[in-house]
Amino acid sequence: MEVVSQPLCTILFATRKHSLLISKEIPNPSKHFPFLSFRSTALSSSSRVSPPSLPFAAPENQLSVGEGENTDASEWALQDFYSLRRDVEIMLQRVEEIRESSGLKLLEQELANLEEQAADSSFWDDRAKAQKILSTLADVKEKIKLLNDFKTQVEDAETIVMLTEEMESIDRGLFGEATNLIKELNKSLDRYELTQLLSGPYDKEGAVISITAGAGGTDAQVNSYLYSDAIVMNLFLTFLVQALTSVQKLSPPEQDWADMLLRMYMRWSEKQRYKTRVIEKSPGEEAGIKSATVEVEGRYAYGYLSGEKGTHRIVRQSPFNAKGLRQTSFSGIEVMPLLPDESMDVEIPEEDLDISFSRAGGKGGQNVNKVETAVRITHIPTGVTVRCTEERSQLANKIKALSRLKAKLLVIAEEQRASEIKQIRGDAVKAEWGQQIRNYVFHPYKLVKDVRTGHETTDVISVMDGELDPFIKSYLKYKFNMSLSTNGVN
Amino acid sequence: MKLTLGIVNRPHSFPKLLNCFSFDSLGRPFCSSAPSSSPSCVKPQVPLYLRPPIYSTKLCDLKKWHDWAKGLSFSIGSTFVQSDNGPDSSMLCRELKWFMEDAVEDLSLATEDDEEVTMRVDVEELYSLWKQRVQERRPFQYVVGCEHWRDLILSVQEGVLIPRPETQLLVDIVSDVVSGNEDLRSGVWADLGTGSGALAISIGRVLGKEGGRVIATDLSPVAVAVATYNVQRYCLQDKIDLREGSWFEPLKDMEGKLAGLVSNPPYIPSEDISGLQAEVGRHEPRLALDGGIEGTNALLHLCDGAGIMLKPGGFFAFEPVANNHPLLLILAHL
Repeated sequence: MEVVSQPLCTILFATRKHSLLISKEIPNPSKHFPFLSFRSTALSSSSRVSPPSLPFAAPENQLSVGEGENTDASEWALQDFYSLRRDVEIMLQRVEEIRESSGLKLLEQELANLEEQAADSSFWDDRAKAQKILSTLADVKEKIKLLNDFKTQVEDAETIVMLTEEMESIDRGLFGEATNLIKELNKSLDRYELTQLLSGPYDKEGAVISITAGAGGTDAQVNSYLYSDAIVMNLFLTFLVQALTSVQKLSPPEQDWADMLLRMYMRWSEKQRYKTRVIEKSPGEEAGIKSATVEVEGRYAYGYLSGEKGTHRIVRQSPFNAKGLRQTSFSGIEVMPLLPDESMDVEIPEEDLDISFSRAGGKGGQNVNKVETAVRITHIPTGVTVRCTEERSQLANKIKALSRLKAKLLVIAEEQRASEIKQIRGDAVKAEWGQQIRNYVFHPYKLVKDVRTGHETTDVISVMDGELDPFIKSYLKYKFNMSLSTNGVN
Repeated sequence: MKLTLGIVNRPHSFPKLLNCFSFDSLGRPFCSSAPSSSPSCVKPQVPLYLRPPIYSTKLCDLKKWHDWAKGLSFSIGSTFVQSDNGPDSSMLCRELKWFMEDAVEDLSLATEDDEEVTMRVDVEELYSLWKQRVQERRPFQYVVGCEHWRDLILSVQEGVLIPRPETQLLVDIVSDVVSGNEDLRSGVWADLGTGSGALAISIGRVLGKEGGRVIATDLSPVAVAVATYNVQRYCLQDKIDLREGSWFEPLKDMEGKLAGLVSNPPYIPSEDISGLQAEVGRHEPRLALDGGIEGTNALLHLCDGAGIMLKPGGFFAFEPVANNHPLLLILAHL
């Protein structure tokens, strides 16, 4: 997979093509798509915390099927059959959901529409346009075929189950066939979903996570509290009381919370077998951290993590207060793709940049010796700012900061569907990037709830140990559905 | 990089300097504290990060040292900031991270506490070095023996001024002027009072393979030795000529021939030296800092000599100070 520097439309196009290729390569998919096999294991490991209502994730089927094959046939035959029957039922539902969420009806409409165009007598007058339509047509056809294949396969398995029930005896050959069908189908559905959910131009890149203690922007938080849920309203009041009583801007609890989040993302990355590197970390005065920056290397790290950006809020009994009062803290997460320099063909005019070096004020030059080399760059038209402190020379920090700024602007442009940096709306940037996305309640009850998707779990401890997959996946699905409803299918 | 006029060119400060030209002490040596006679052959120290990784210690012992060093750094709080605008705890922690990077060969190799880590320095030495850093306020750059400056890593040691970030601007300016002027690019440049060789090496690289040479001078034998070492490390022996001596003295043969002249001369008024940040005042060479009663002795000497040394159309830039803020003075000799 190459891309990145190509225009957006080509990339989306290419990814769709890949999803089709995958289906043909099922016998040995890991050769070309090693990350896919990794993905399905990552998902199944997370399935423990995912609620059964989550429609797409049903990897436990794989497990039971696998076990069924290995155990003694005669003794477990009936049990195997029941488990197969259950798997088939779940799979029927899953296939139906996928067909629906992929907009099969819309696809069929589009196909008819495209075929009509292709049949037109003036079709070949514009060769370039005709080519484009034909290749879209091929894509849509393939996708429909794929979705229909899913259905045929699961129906085949269903037929075997029904047949077995009628015959009242288990045919090993047929049984094995059905088991395999379900197993393969599970894999290809996982793959299909993944390519659907992670089709952004930077999704397959590594990621840079920046964690900052404290609230990013007060406006953004208050807005997000317009959330009609009695519990949240209750929390809101608690928050208000605390906001009014607390004067310290960056308190130890906030720095501690930032540290907890850092640990959570490190754990998550470990589980994905991603390589992490803490490139900047400034410790808090008493506890925790003021900020930290982590590079996460590995395929699709950005795709998974991009939805984590925003303000994360914790409610707990204060570990920093003898009375153990309930307390709310915030931390901001920012996620950017880890883009190789050469892939960013963005030129930012010099006059749009405000570059400032640390060591403002006070004496400088020979009077001072501080290894303070921080560089801060603001993109004036949008107000987007990056700061780089981890390198040992100003020049190195400047180069790094500029490259991060470019990555950030590219991502924002993509989010706003702007074709170039110039079109970015600066006002929208602030609102989007500071939004509160998730609540972690440790006290008076235990609950982690995503504000956007509504996904929740009471297992706070596991989440803090990096069990983030259900949250990440439900957000990706949410994002995908949003884009479907706003854009149509193609 | 485009330069902001505000920083670089303050026309009003130049006439002010010119007014002082009648100052009668110009011909005399301006530095009262003459360097103690050092042996002419000084052996430069190898920066920590280039030393062979011949030591080894258990990961848990390294961690123990790290915790101790972190604790020591945090015990400082903002006391140094208050006393002389020195580093605070978080800056010391950043230095500690870099210290680890330089001292340990590859930290990612060891994961278990009883695994061995290969290091470039003994763990006992780590304790004493960090004590020197925090308690004696020895500059971090002397502790690790190098300074990351622009795109260079320069060896530094006691007796040599640690190049400052502000001086990097001088290189940007030179890079700008030579890019549009072939005469300047192919001519001979001089860096007076080169110290670690930072300006000479950077300008040598800016001039490029096809461009001219650089002559670097310094009165201090330690500086000449360290600069020679740095020049060798960047393989610029053919490009940069190092000469020991005071300012223009070693350049007698170049009168009227220099295309460009740069310098970062001492410019701190003598009476301010005692109140400097401890890292600077107690550890860096006074020779490189003390600019005489008004801090202008060396500047005036340089302005005076530049006229004789430069060829017509020559370029002259140096880093003097006004109201304690460094600003660059550029002078095109027409």
